[in-house]
Amino acid sequence: MPRIIFHLDLDAFFVSVERILNPSLIGKPVIVGGDPKGRGVVAACSYEAREYGLHSAMPIKQAYRLCPKGIYIHGSMGEYSRFSRAVKKILENYAPMIEQASIDEFYMDFTGTQKIYGSMIMLANRIQAEIKTKLGLPCSIGIAGNKTIAKIASDAMKPEGVTYIYPGMEKEFLAQMPVEAIPGVGKVTVKSLHQKGFFLIKDITKLSHEYFSAAYGKYGIDLWEKANGIGREYLNTPQDRKSISKERTFSQDLVIQSEIEETLFDITEKVCQLLRDKNWQTSTISIKMRYADFQTLTRSKSIKATDDDKIIFETAQSLFRKAFTRRVGIRLIGIHLSNFTEYSEQEFLFDDIDIKRGKMFRAVTKIRDKYGFSSINYGKGKKK
Amino acid sequence: MNLKYPKIYFGTAGWSYKDWVPSFYPKTQSKNMNWLEFYSRYFNVVEVNSSYYTYLNPDTVQNWTEQIEHVEDFLFTVKLHMDFTHNKKYNEQKIKSVKQVLNILKSEERLGGLLLQFPYSFDCNQATIDYLRKLIELFEEYDKFVEIRHKSWQNKKAKSITFCTIDQPQIGESIEFKPNVGNKMAYIRFHGRNEKAWFQSLNNFGKTQSYEERSERYKYLYSPGELAEISIKIKEVYDKVNKIFVIMNNHPNGDAPANAFELLHYLKDLNKIKMPDTIVKSYSRLSELAKN
Repeated sequence: MPRIIFHLDLDAFFVSVERILNPSLIGKPVIVGGDPKGRGVVAACSYEAREYGLHSAMPIKQAYRLCPKGIYIHGSMGEYSRFSRAVKKILENYAPMIEQASIDEFYMDFTGTQKIYGSMIMLANRIQAEIKTKLGLPCSIGIAGNKTIAKIASDAMKPEGVTYIYPGMEKEFLAQMPVEAIPGVGKVTVKSLHQKGFFLIKDITKLSHEYFSAAYGKYGIDLWEKANGIGREYLNTPQDRKSISKERTFSQDLVIQSEIEETLFDITEKVCQLLRDKNWQTSTISIKMRYADFQTLTRSKSIKATDDDKIIFETAQSLFRKAFTRRVGIRLIGIHLSNFTEYSEQEFLFDDIDIKRGKMFRAVTKIRDKYGFSSINYGKGKKK
Repeated sequence: MNLKYPKIYFGTAGWSYKDWVPSFYPKTQSKNMNWLEFYSRYFNVVEVNSSYYTYLNPDTVQNWTEQIEHVEDFLFTVKLHMDFTHNKKYNEQKIKSVKQVLNILKSEERLGGLLLQFPYSFDCNQATIDYLRKLIELFEEYDKFVEIRHKSWQNKKAKSITFCTIDQPQIGESIEFKPNVGNKMAYIRFHGRNEKAWFQSLNNFGKTQSYEERSERYKYLYSPGELAEISIKIKEVYDKVNKIFVIMNNHPNGDAPANAFELLHYLKDLNKIKMPDTIVKSYSRLSELAKN
């Protein structure tokens, strides 16, 4: 399956935030960075300032020479972080996986979500609109099969652009771009590339990677790969567990519903145990089943967050019953829990039954911790 | 994006502050200017805190309702007297006088609900649960908002009441701001994040203090980033509630009304907000938010 990676870049982020703090900056050339007469660099500048030839990372002294009438401000880092966190919170409602690359840049992995979201371009537009409506911040989104292309794509149509580079189009997309469009290529490298006659990305792809390895070592290979549209397809995300699942393949295909359900019960108990160990509750329950002829089905249902074996099993069971329609044996059954929330010790002031169940399950967990998993069972599981 | 929007009641804790002139109430006002009426042009709820210190005169309350008679959409929420929540010494007479005031507001359809604020020492145990239950039953006929500060109550839920969500300086173990929902409502109180003064006030507990001294710990102007971040979290419960109460208690100098307008702007997806010129003059960053 081709990967679908989004790169979201907040447009002139620092400037956008500064304008919320001080609306009189709207429409004026604004430069965020150090003292204009000092040795710092431009951290960010407004599009009005860019018309004077300013860009980020430019020495601020030079910027001041080009645009002496600009408004130079120090920047409010704490405030940028707050808006950045608010953006991330919005993205968390959409993306199964997010990597925050910097204060104003996020990678998101939407691989396999087309069935939920439909068109990826529409999805990007929706995310863009939501960030704009809720926080007033413009952003650009690049979509591609890997991080490098997604990043270059988000930069291609700024501000407020959405660019989707379809798989297979990467090289063509990059061909006419200047070498400095490659992420990670700084001033020194650009100079060296120019000296060697590489101006456009296509100039790099004309040669083999051996040449770049010889000329620039490991960095050269990386550069050549990026120029050829090759990049990382997976995000660096903290090792958070996003789902808990268990499946079992039968030694012999089963047709009797109650036998299959016994196994389903068995594995449900195990995943619920893992769930409670983590102090989590799940709100999405999925089952997976494979018929003897390898037709594989998955079904899921969202419910109120719970860690209760009984509720989870009953949900899985009803999903299974609805899906088990063919008169063909089953060779595999699996359960998958996702969409977790942290369980908190709740004292429902007026809802005593729930507390009792909760306490009982916690006690079961303790016994299992001490004497092993099979030391205590809930009363239906398959006898081993 | 959420399709369902709850009704948002937004306002401040109290309306009668001299230091809101001229940042909210105009300086060149006629002597007869009615502050509550002026307030009600811009906000749709006010939290009455004086009822915590004193048993309100029913005539005064009746008079409030008359002052805002022409205002279609306006509620009062009333803080329960400390005899109930702090001293735990109440009797039939006191219950009656609290209810009398609540009933005036209720009969005029001006009552948002009753706010029960407990001291930090009110930690969660069987005795306090029983006590809370008793008060809940006592004021059964009103919507109740319960503010409890001790963290042993964190994440406790109850169906018939609304636990308040509070934003305050994070001293000691920090608790992430997360709106509580109960009885299909959220009641969110903002005390400011003035850590230094808040910490100081813990040492002054029980001492007689002037208005300025008491106010010091509420001196705080939230930044747009803080409000934006909070707004995203509040929006996450939009589909779980019918009503959201947002009460700003950082009252010194008019910061509370300024922040109330600003937060509402975020809660309403950056819509322009009706606000007086006075506040725009004092808080220039509001200029882009103001509907004129």
